[in-house]
Amino acid sequence: MILISSPTGLRATVVAANALLAIALAGTPAWAQKAEPCIAGSWELTGPIAHMGLAVRMGVETAVDEINEAGGVLGRKLRVIAYDDQGEPSRAVDNARRIGEQDNCIAMIGGFRTPNALAIRPVVSEIGLPWMGVMSAGTRVIEWEQGTNEWMFRTSMKDRWVAPFLLKKALERSSNKKIGLMFEATGWGQGAVPDIEAAAKGLEVKLVGKETFNLKDQDLSAQLIRLRDGGADTVVYYGVDPEGQAMLRSMERIGYKPTIVSAWGLSAKLGEAAGTLADGVFVAGTFAWTGQLDARAEGIWKRMKTKFSLENPGQVSMPSGTANAYDAVYIIAEALKIAGSFDRAKMRDAFYKVKYNGITGTFDPAFELAAERHDSILPSQYKLLAYYKGLLMPVEQTPYVTK
Amino acid sequence: MMSPRVQLLLILAAGAIFLVVFRELGPSGYQLGLLMRTMILMIVAIGLNILIGQAGLVSLGQAAIYGLGAYVAAWLAVRHNVSFLPAIAAAILASACCGAILAYPTVRVRGAYFAVITIAFGLVFENILIEWLSVTGGSQGLIGIPRGNVFGVVLTRPIYFWVVAACLFFAFVVQYNIMHSRYGRAMRATAQSESAARALGINLAGMRTLAFVISAALAGLAGGLYAFLNLYVNYETFSFFHSVSFLLMVVLGGLGTLLGPLLGASILTYIAEALQNLREWQIFAFSVLLAAVMFVMPRGIVGSLSDLYHHTTSRARRREAEPWPNHQISVEPATLMAEHETDAALVTEGLTVRFGGLTAVDNVRLSVYAGTVHALIGPNGAGKSSLLNLISGFYQPTSGDVLFFGERVGGRQSHELARRGMARTFQNTELFGQMTVLDNVLVGFHTHYASTLTETLLRLPRFRREEFAFRERAQQLLCLVGLSDYADDEARHLPFGHQRRLEIARALALRPRLLLLDEPAAGLTHGEIEDLKRLIRLLADNEVTVILVEHHVEMVMAVSDHITVLDYGKVIAAGTVADVRDNPKVIEAYFGRGNLSLKRPDRLLPEPVEIGGAK
Amino acid sequence: MGEIVQYLLNGLTLGGIYALLALGLYIMWEASKAANFTHGDIYMLGAIVAVVLTERGLPLFVSVTASVAIAAVVGALIERFFVRPFNTEPHSIGWMLTTIAVGMMIESAATQTYGSLGRQLPSILAEKPIRLGGAGVYAQELLLPIAAVATMFGLQVFYRRTRLGRAMRAVAADRMAAGLMGIDSNLVALIAFALAAGIGALTGILIAPVLPALPTMGALTGLKAFGVAIVAGISSARGVVIVGLAYGVMEKFIEGYLSTGARDALGFSLVILALLAFPQGIFGRGEVKKV
Repeated sequence: MILISSPTGLRATVVAANALLAIALAGTPAWAQKAEPCIAGSWELTGPIAHMGLAVRMGVETAVDEINEAGGVLGRKLRVIAYDDQGEPSRAVDNARRIGEQDNCIAMIGGFRTPNALAIRPVVSEIGLPWMGVMSAGTRVIEWEQGTNEWMFRTSMKDRWVAPFLLKKALERSSNKKIGLMFEATGWGQGAVPDIEAAAKGLEVKLVGKETFNLKDQDLSAQLIRLRDGGADTVVYYGVDPEGQAMLRSMERIGYKPTIVSAWGLSAKLGEAAGTLADGVFVAGTFAWTGQLDARAEGIWKRMKTKFSLENPGQVSMPSGTANAYDAVYIIAEALKIAGSFDRAKMRDAFYKVKYNGITGTFDPAFELAAERHDSILPSQYKLLAYYKGLLMPVEQTPYVTK
Repeated sequence: MMSPRVQLLLILAAGAIFLVVFRELGPSGYQLGLLMRTMILMIVAIGLNILIGQAGLVSLGQAAIYGLGAYVAAWLAVRHNVSFLPAIAAAILASACCGAILAYPTVRVRGAYFAVITIAFGLVFENILIEWLSVTGGSQGLIGIPRGNVFGVVLTRPIYFWVVAACLFFAFVVQYNIMHSRYGRAMRATAQSESAARALGINLAGMRTLAFVISAALAGLAGGLYAFLNLYVNYETFSFFHSVSFLLMVVLGGLGTLLGPLLGASILTYIAEALQNLREWQIFAFSVLLAAVMFVMPRGIVGSLSDLYHHTTSRARRREAEPWPNHQISVEPATLMAEHETDAALVTEGLTVRFGGLTAVDNVRLSVYAGTVHALIGPNGAGKSSLLNLISGFYQPTSGDVLFFGERVGGRQSHELARRGMARTFQNTELFGQMTVLDNVLVGFHTHYASTLTETLLRLPRFRREEFAFRERAQQLLCLVGLSDYADDEARHLPFGHQRRLEIARALALRPRLLLLDEPAAGLTHGEIEDLKRLIRLLADNEVTVILVEHHVEMVMAVSDHITVLDYGKVIAAGTVADVRDNPKVIEAYFGRGNLSLKRPDRLLPEPVEIGGAK
Repeated sequence: MGEIVQYLLNGLTLGGIYALLALGLYIMWEASKAANFTHGDIYMLGAIVAVVLTERGLPLFVSVTASVAIAAVVGALIERFFVRPFNTEPHSIGWMLTTIAVGMMIESAATQTYGSLGRQLPSILAEKPIRLGGAGVYAQELLLPIAAVATMFGLQVFYRRTRLGRAMRAVAADRMAAGLMGIDSNLVALIAFALAAGIGALTGILIAPVLPALPTMGALTGLKAFGVAIVAGISSARGVVIVGLAYGVMEKFIEGYLSTGARDALGFSLVILALLAFPQGIFGRGEVKKV
């Protein structure tokens, strides 16, 4: 039987054996005390949503480079370890264990998909591994329906907050106040439905239709016909690029042209792929690399440009996610400085004290003890972006700024 | 070569040592988890190996059954606070039931058609998981499964490791006990020749259902274990892709081999981890690797290696067939199952079968007396084989009935007839080609075992006793037909004449009261035919009634007590050898103008004399 | 009323895809008694190769021809190296695994080189939809069911009238007997796979102006086409086209009147039921095994 995967695996076993033998007998895990100065991620590096994982990686590696050039943290350089989960929850669970127990990293940064973040909830709690989400926006990732969330934090959007934001923006742009919902049948899409329903109740809007679709569906005419016949002139979309593109195409075919306000599953890639068909589609976000940038963001962009051989900001496929990842690394670094050592528990406690000025906004403090404040980006920092001439821009820099 | 039992013990011991050493090395939680997941996948693979490797049923929906177990356990634990053991039991039960339902289509649907049913089942299951929000939690799945707890002991990961290991050992032993028992042999038999299996009294549907239930129960067990390992279940772990990878594990490791599923599961899991370094190209590399292995080792790793081993060792010894029948071996008395004893072993009443417009057997009345040799002859296409198939239950009569020792059995399934003591051989020998010669004969004893499935799985005394006795008897039967030397060879490697002998030995294992021989002399040499004649007489002397369909007239004349001549599906003559020999109708049927006579007994009839009927 | 027309039209388009792919599976099955699990990926390959070549500035006609030719070569290679060696015994399942493996290779290679988002093939037939009351359809979409029916009749003529076609039928009927008559059944299988792959690629090309070509478009579609072929009875060309079109229309009506979620669950349940009712497929020939 082959049970050791590779020479490195073998070496790691032996090292781990030496390090752990004594303590393992005593029953206390070694990693509770000292962790390595590495930030590791389980990201979507291959498969159909690989560009999302890459977006996270760009943000993380850029920030780590900056920090290391400035001397690192507590005198040590940070390392980035990137694992691929292909978007699959069970692989994310394996990776979380690998990061927490084998690589013994100080923190883990999450990827794009909400189901993966949900899957590792018990794992990071058990290991005591600080986890920072930078994309997956599912409410339940942070706000647990049972048990206390002690280790999972997020510098990203949260569906419970995104839903009212989207609905408000949709209402502003709707002339008949009839709003339809399109959501993907995934953990993220399905999970957002209760949030949207709650938000609709709060805003006293009636959704004229709630339509779902599966990943890889290429024709969404049936759902759109129902929304059209229900009279919706504005559609709130919870989904990702390929189906977004299919939706635009189906709309064109059935001659239905509602305003689309989308959660941030839509990336800059859609503009590239769908061209002018995407123009005027609104997307919620936290940041855009297109348009005018301030000096700091300009510097970050230049660094990313060289490091990842990009040509234009439109190639940062998930602009908000990259920015969130960048800020998340800085929050981790700040927390480490406060903690004074590479100790996971101390660092976690320091999260509640971090004050930091990031590119997505100001964090003061980054986190609070209340469950809902394990999210660092507040709704007031949410921004609306729109596609214009194939680029995803801040809405203020497009003609689609409120009519 | 070690005996299988010693092999099993060695493997179990090696496995146990490995696990203990692994734990003593103090692996990281990640490695512990990885090994636990691998062991769980091994359990699924073992189940699938029983289904595909033994019963020959290809399922591309195994991940769904595995998922059913996982979801049942998770749902009970999360929503109803059911504890570990009952949740696992429910998972096994639910999956086993599901397996039984899935087995039903195998009664009607075969091959690629059946594969599509399993694919469709898997996809339906996946969709239900996504859509049935209130129960399955939709795509988000079920979160927050509490850690298992057995009699107050919390199953922390280090303890759970041993729980999983124990389940794997259990599954492995189940696999061994099935493979090395009449059930495993019967499953392999149904996979390799349905007709022969039926003729030996094996209920195909029953055996397939059993294979399905066992394989599904193991998948359910693994699913339950997975739920309590991961503490989270989501539909993505149970998709079609995963069904494919289970199939890969089994085929890669070696279908039907004991160690194959273990090897396949560990390679697939660990290779996937190792290939992570290849980043974007890992799936590509994975599939290249897979195709490469299939090229080099088409029978899987274990299968190909053991082929190689056998190939190198089998040359060492020359085998010799002995003369047969060996008169020192007694022919056992026939089974006595029916109460009605009459001197007519078999009576057909107006037996008729039509295929479309063609009446292959037309209103045939036949009386075969117990302890006699009764030959059916006639030109090609006369309906002899059709009549034989009607009698033995392979065809359903359009009208008419069959009395077997006084019991009305017309329209009964062939396996039911076999259980009543009717055995047959086939025109084109139907051996279980990839089973050993000895196993072929042992399949014949299938219906004579009294030990139950539980006794077999637990290896209780009655099972051991019976297995020992039947092995002895099977060796004797091989001795009777002079094939003792070949006992451990695969049947497909036997020379043709020996295959005929083996088929007869296998039929005799059924302890038949009536033996139907369908052209047993075809393809035999002159010497072999002489032996066959002696054997047939020997059987008749031991009260086995024989119905013989044969073209070889000299042999028919020599061994038969009675002859019935068919032409165009009708009886044209019947009686003793002498009665038939001079019957002008018979001569005409054979030779049209009747210028040749059957009086010259040494003459072999020319084989394919096309007269009307379609072959 | 508008929606019924819409579902019907969309359904026929989708059904056209299933029918064309199932016809390919039929061709391959007849020649080698093996199905090819890469067929969905060939369909995808046809579409994206055509898109890429067009983007490189080749004229549409040239890139389409090249794409079909490439697919045919790939199909032939698959037969020679991944099906034939693994299809030597009646019950072998090796080909299933090797073709699945090749399918994975094609899909992952396409994802890595082409990208994960769809791009369309230019076509004058897909610029503006034709409006029919509340429904709309691109002229391009109507080509698919038409192509499916045309291919079916074309195959019929090919099988009856040409030397090669007759050789293929002979191999389908009895491989051994065909061999005795001097027909090289291996060559026939090779040609059949190339032909099927060409048709598969053409299907992808036909739909690429409407549905953006992307690497994930093939897998499930191929699987459904396989289901369609089997339910129809894979040995009947007429059957696979009828069932293919019907399955596509049915999917769209389920989507329209029940829900998208129910589409596959219900669709595949019907596949199972259909096979239970017709073990040889709805239009399939029964095979009586002689003993």
